[in-house]
Amino acid sequence: MLKLIKYEFAKKYKLISITLIISVLLNLFLITRGEAGSGVFIVFFPMVMSIFYMVDIIKMYSDDLNKKSGYMLFMTPNSGYKIIVSKLITAVIEGLAIMLLYFIFILINGSYIIFTSGNYVNFKDIIYTINHLLSGSFGFNLFHVFMVLLTALLFLISFLTTAYTAMTIRKSIFSEIKFGGALSFLIFLLLNWGISYISSRFFDLLTPYYGSFSMMRPTAAEFTRILLPINAMSIIQSVILTLCSGYLLENKINL
Amino acid sequence: MEFNNNIPIYIQVMEKIKQEIVTSRLKPGDKMPSSRDYSVELGINFNTVARVYKEMEMEELLFTKRGLGTFVTESSDRVERLRFEMAKKQIELFVSGMRQIGYTKKDMIKFIEMENDYMEGEFKHGIIKNRKSE
Amino acid sequence: MELLKIENLNKKYNNKIALSNISLSLDSGKIYGLLGPNGSGKTTLMKIIAGLHRQTFGDVFINGEALSYKTKAKVSYMPTENFLYDSFKVKDAVKFYTEMYEDFSEENAFNLLKEIGVDTEFRISKLSSGLVGKLKVALALSRNTDIYMLDEPLNGVDVLSRDVIIDLITRSYGENKTIIISTHLVNEIEKILDSVIFLKDGNLELSGNAEELRISHEKSIEGIYKEVYKNA
Repeated sequence: MLKLIKYEFAKKYKLISITLIISVLLNLFLITRGEAGSGVFIVFFPMVMSIFYMVDIIKMYSDDLNKKSGYMLFMTPNSGYKIIVSKLITAVIEGLAIMLLYFIFILINGSYIIFTSGNYVNFKDIIYTINHLLSGSFGFNLFHVFMVLLTALLFLISFLTTAYTAMTIRKSIFSEIKFGGALSFLIFLLLNWGISYISSRFFDLLTPYYGSFSMMRPTAAEFTRILLPINAMSIIQSVILTLCSGYLLENKINL
Repeated sequence: MEFNNNIPIYIQVMEKIKQEIVTSRLKPGDKMPSSRDYSVELGINFNTVARVYKEMEMEELLFTKRGLGTFVTESSDRVERLRFEMAKKQIELFVSGMRQIGYTKKDMIKFIEMENDYMEGEFKHGIIKNRKSE
Repeated sequence: MELLKIENLNKKYNNKIALSNISLSLDSGKIYGLLGPNGSGKTTLMKIIAGLHRQTFGDVFINGEALSYKTKAKVSYMPTENFLYDSFKVKDAVKFYTEMYEDFSEENAFNLLKEIGVDTEFRISKLSSGLVGKLKVALALSRNTDIYMLDEPLNGVDVLSRDVIIDLITRSYGENKTIIISTHLVNEIEKILDSVIFLKDGNLELSGNAEELRISHEKSIEGIYKEVYKNA
């Protein structure tokens, strides 16, 4: 599995380096334009990057299914389950790396903006803020932040598995039908429609559950319980779809 | 070696080895290359060479020493017999061919003498390379 | 000894029949020629054995084991297309094979590549088609496994490289190995074949020992090929 993930990154090593270099250069260029430039970068970087990211993770799987170079991967004695899971892990790592990169950019540009506006960065203030955060006096603490991030991550994974499953279905059950890309997208929409139908039924049933706690300033424990159904849904969806993809890759594939 | 794909490869390889034996390019007791090496050398299938060796062992032109390899027969009688067999095949072909186009025995002999004299002349002048090294 | 058993294999795409009731038994220690023009089902058959396609029905057993991702370890398949990652250097491709296949000999591969003149520092996208052809064959043959399947190894390759490739295949012969070569360039390769399998429109048209067929048909395998596909 590690080997598979390693080669996923080895394949896009060039793309990653280029993206990184361009981002840094662009940021440097915009910084020379003053605070406004920095601000623009901080606002637009995540937008552009999330589009890049989406395209890249879709392409990562679709190339292996649709291009001859996919034989390299699918000839190896790795099960379909292993292949699909390693793709998912690669995509998650890539997403986290982009987020980390963005935080670093925020830190750099943020410090820069504070510095140019003539303010000193006061470490006492920072420590004070962190203390407040930890004590929960803002109405939320680090645990809340963690839960939001976890929920986002689980949502991302469920989105990825849906997209990957759509492509797998198209390349196995409908392998001989033309307009593959459009068909994959159609299957993706159908899957999403099906999933949202099921989940809306599920959440309907949960109305009394939500009524049991206050939505205003929930405690960490309450917050967890509020997010629990959504997260459970994401996990169940991801597991079922991953199993589906793995099974199809293993038993029905026509590359 | 160029092969004619219309004729079984093993027959062509057998012919080649036989030729080498009667012209002493392969001497009695010489070690043959392993089937594997020989197949690579000739660019043909391993099993074809294995078959050649097997058939030629049955004809007692080659023999195998266990663990040592395949060798050319040590019997000069057998080599002579081979030469005779090969000559007989040639003459049979010749005679039947000549008869088919209406030559009599006398004409054939005359023709042979004529052709032989001519070829000897060519050999002398080095036009045809002397292929028989013995 | 029987290494590959194909029983009543069928493959349909949409409603087009790609393979129809193919049953074959292939032995170890032999080189098989899988012959037929484009669209006769050669590639489909190889891809099924390599686990890249799934049959509609029928069975394939490798050493008695039904096809699964595990049997991929027993099959060294060389697709006819250039399937190697473009962005890789030759040495990266060797490294990939080394890490992915336990039976791959890195040393053997580097020796072969040196011998046939493929520079390992070169980027694959920069190689000529002759070099790619040799590289693919060298990679496939540097594994030490049961079944080798080379799909059209001479396609798009210059005459000199063809000789090199044929030489590599001849040298790879092993008692425990089965080598299957698909080709429509029969003349170049027939002298290294033990047995031939003729596919026509997805059907098994003729199969047998190459020498016996030469004797019984009184012509070359290429001659028989022309006879079989005269109307194709």
